[in-house]
Amino acid sequence: MDDLHTLLRQAELFEGLSDDELMAIGALCQARSYAAGEIVTTQGERGDELYVISQGFVEIAQTHPGSDAAPRSVVHLGPGQIVGEMALVDRGPRSATVRALTDGTLLQALPREAFLDLCQANTHLGYVVMRNMAADLSFKLRHRMLAGR
Amino acid sequence: MAAIYKVSCVVQGEEHPGAILNTAEEPKPGDTVRIGDRRFRVVEVQELIPPHGEFHFLHATLTAA
Repeated sequence: MDDLHTLLRQAELFEGLSDDELMAIGALCQARSYAAGEIVTTQGERGDELYVISQGFVEIAQTHPGSDAAPRSVVHLGPGQIVGEMALVDRGPRSATVRALTDGTLLQALPREAFLDLCQANTHLGYVVMRNMAADLSFKLRHRMLAGR
Repeated sequence: MAAIYKVSCVVQGEEHPGAILNTAEEPKPGDTVRIGDRRFRVVEVQELIPPHGEFHFLHATLTAA
C-alpha cells in the first residue's frame, strides 16, 4: 500500500470505501506543498477543489461579511482532516481563508468536477463520501460549539 | 485496520481556536499533543460521539505545556 493510499484510508471522508474505490480517488489527487503562512484558499473566492491534509496544520479564519475586522481564527486542522468541502457541496464561494501553519504542509487536492463525476458514476462511493462529509461537517459544528467559536 | 482517533481539541486559558486532528494513539490526560508548532498538555478526554468503523471520536481539553 503506498503513502497516498494509506493517507486516504486514514481520512474519515473515505471510511467504508474498498481498495479499488480508494485507488480511483487517489488517481484524482494532486499533491500541493505549502510553506508556513502561505494561503491555500481565500474567503469569498470561487473554489473548485477539496483538500485532504496529508501532513502539517492549516488555520481556518473567517471575517463576517461586510465587516472590516481582521479575520478571526476559528480552528486549526491537522492530518486526516478535509478542507473546502462547503464549496464542493454547495458550489458557493469559499467560506473561510485557509493558511498553512507549518512549513511543508502537504495537501492532496481533489478537483470538484472530476470528484463529483466519480461519485455519480459509482453510487456506493458517492453515498459513502457524502455520508462521511455530512458527519465531518457535524463534527466540525460540535467542535465549534465546544470551543465557543 | 488499527483504530484512528479523531480528536476535537479545545485549549483552556488562552485565546486559541482549538484544533481537529487524527491520532493513531488514544490521547490520555498528561499526554502532550502537538498543534502546528506548539505543544499542549492533555487535561481531560471524553467520547464525543460513538465510534464508527475504525474511527473513534473524542473531545480533549488541553492546556499550554
